[in-house]
Amino acid sequence: MLWALLTGLGRRGGSRGWAFSSWRPHLPQAGLLSAIELVSRWAAVFEERGIPEARESSEYIVAHVLGAKTFQSLRPVLRTQPLTPWQLQCIQDLCSLRLQRMPVQYILGEWDFQGLSLKMAPPVFIPRPETEELVEWVLEEVARRPCVAEAHGGPLILEVGCGSGAVSLSLLSRLPQSRVIAVDKGEAAICLTHENAQRLQLRDRIRIIPLDVTSEGSWAHLLPWGPLDLVVSNPPYVFHQDMEQLAPEILSYEDPAALDGGEKGMDIIMHVLALAPRLLKDSGSIFLEVDPRHPELIGSWLQSRPDLSLDLVAARRDFCGRPRFLHIRRSGSQGGCPVDALSGPPPARAPG
Amino acid sequence: MSLRQGEGSCGWGTARARTGDRDCDFCSAEILGFPVTLGAEANPGARSSASRAPLPMSALGLFRFPAPLTRVCAVPWGRQHGARPALLSPGMAAPLVQEAGKKDRPALLPLDESELEEQFVKGHGPGGQAINKTSNCVVLKHLPSGLVVKCHQTRSVDQNRKLARRILQEKVDIFYNGEDSAAHREKREAERKKQERKRRAKETLEKKKQLKMLQASSRTLHGGAAGSD
Repeated sequence: MLWALLTGLGRRGGSRGWAFSSWRPHLPQAGLLSAIELVSRWAAVFEERGIPEARESSEYIVAHVLGAKTFQSLRPVLRTQPLTPWQLQCIQDLCSLRLQRMPVQYILGEWDFQGLSLKMAPPVFIPRPETEELVEWVLEEVARRPCVAEAHGGPLILEVGCGSGAVSLSLLSRLPQSRVIAVDKGEAAICLTHENAQRLQLRDRIRIIPLDVTSEGSWAHLLPWGPLDLVVSNPPYVFHQDMEQLAPEILSYEDPAALDGGEKGMDIIMHVLALAPRLLKDSGSIFLEVDPRHPELIGSWLQSRPDLSLDLVAARRDFCGRPRFLHIRRSGSQGGCPVDALSGPPPARAPG
Repeated sequence: MSLRQGEGSCGWGTARARTGDRDCDFCSAEILGFPVTLGAEANPGARSSASRAPLPMSALGLFRFPAPLTRVCAVPWGRQHGARPALLSPGMAAPLVQEAGKKDRPALLPLDESELEEQFVKGHGPGGQAINKTSNCVVLKHLPSGLVVKCHQTRSVDQNRKLARRILQEKVDIFYNGEDSAAHREKREAERKKQERKRRAKETLEKKKQLKMLQASSRTLHGGAAGSD
């Protein structure tokens, strides 16, 4: 029925105020619609139904069906050509999912992060654009401290909460000598990270382990891999009281465990910071993505936990100007390169 | 030069498109644009036939900016004097992006980050995990010249920011250097090569024609007897 309405054959002045009658005179030829026209029509449908990002959603779906990642990148000639019935049907099917508030990334089954194309599947957490800057910051730090990077085959990195594998895989692809241990408590996340690692042919340098860092003694499972250079995490950091205000796209489709950080959004963060010193080399670093309210909270918390020997080195804002990222360092030996990175045998590694 | 979806069959044509060298190192396809995906779509067969050593993924020039992007707050056009980023990294000017093997090409004027203003679609509230937004379009303005670039070539904000800078860098070069700009010079060079190829092809065709005529006339001279030389 929706399709009939779109082609202008539906009821006039329907009770739900579809108001398609204004479109009918503009049909070039019955049934021959181009990408541009379809984008506008579906954008209008989405707006009518209160779907956020109406135009963007419509553009991504149409572009995807036509084989492009964004509408702007679609070849101009493809934008004005009539679409085939098969294409129209695909677009309609995908747009129906959008009408059910499914996030675009799940509808397309893929999304891009730091130039990598990753498979997306509910309920695994969809990488947010801000997190790309977390990766950039880590890369800067690694470039700044080459002794960390070169020792024994690149930095050894632990990612806590890997989700789809976005952060781990982009670090691996930008640091050809690095190795990553990616952990997540969600089974679906573990599977999806495996799949993405496979697609990107990065499986040889990543270990993907189901692990809940909040459970007692979980850190011990990571000891066999040896002291880490870096811990990176985008842990669930939403304040529990804010969860119910999240958009339906998030609440209905993404795993709440990937978002809910407890009362002050700090639960998982505190566990990450508590386990890190046991696993990090001296002067090893932790990079976190957090809620804008966290830098202060974490700063104070670290001061109350001198036993952790962690210093808050720097905070950085995201591209929207909100404090979003923290660099925390394990204080060990004074200055210079950590001793154990330069001397001694490589740490013993667990099989597989 | 407008950047469009890459057409090299191997998907590795990324870096080449930027300098106007139309041939992909890996599959020799003519590249008009670039694909976003690195690695997953690479055709190993094509790669092995490359005349030059394949670039490791981390070295592909298009998406690599060693210096960090300044954290410019997203506000409408106009200088912002408040809300300074918490950490300003040293060396804010975008570095010249050098393509491997293109040493003879003069570098473009680098863009000074302090002369740029960027605009994104911001989410409301705390952002980050609390929002899932897909509007990754970046609008970048070069204040001294007033040039504006709107980039939504990829699904990644980070990539769009870098691309926008790339495109703007080229536009600024054309703006200030006109005929002398890298883009115009490359265009003239490409045109010259094209004319050269045409001329040579024409010559070859002429020679073939002449040869045919000679053979034909030698046959008639000898009264249709068999024996073309």
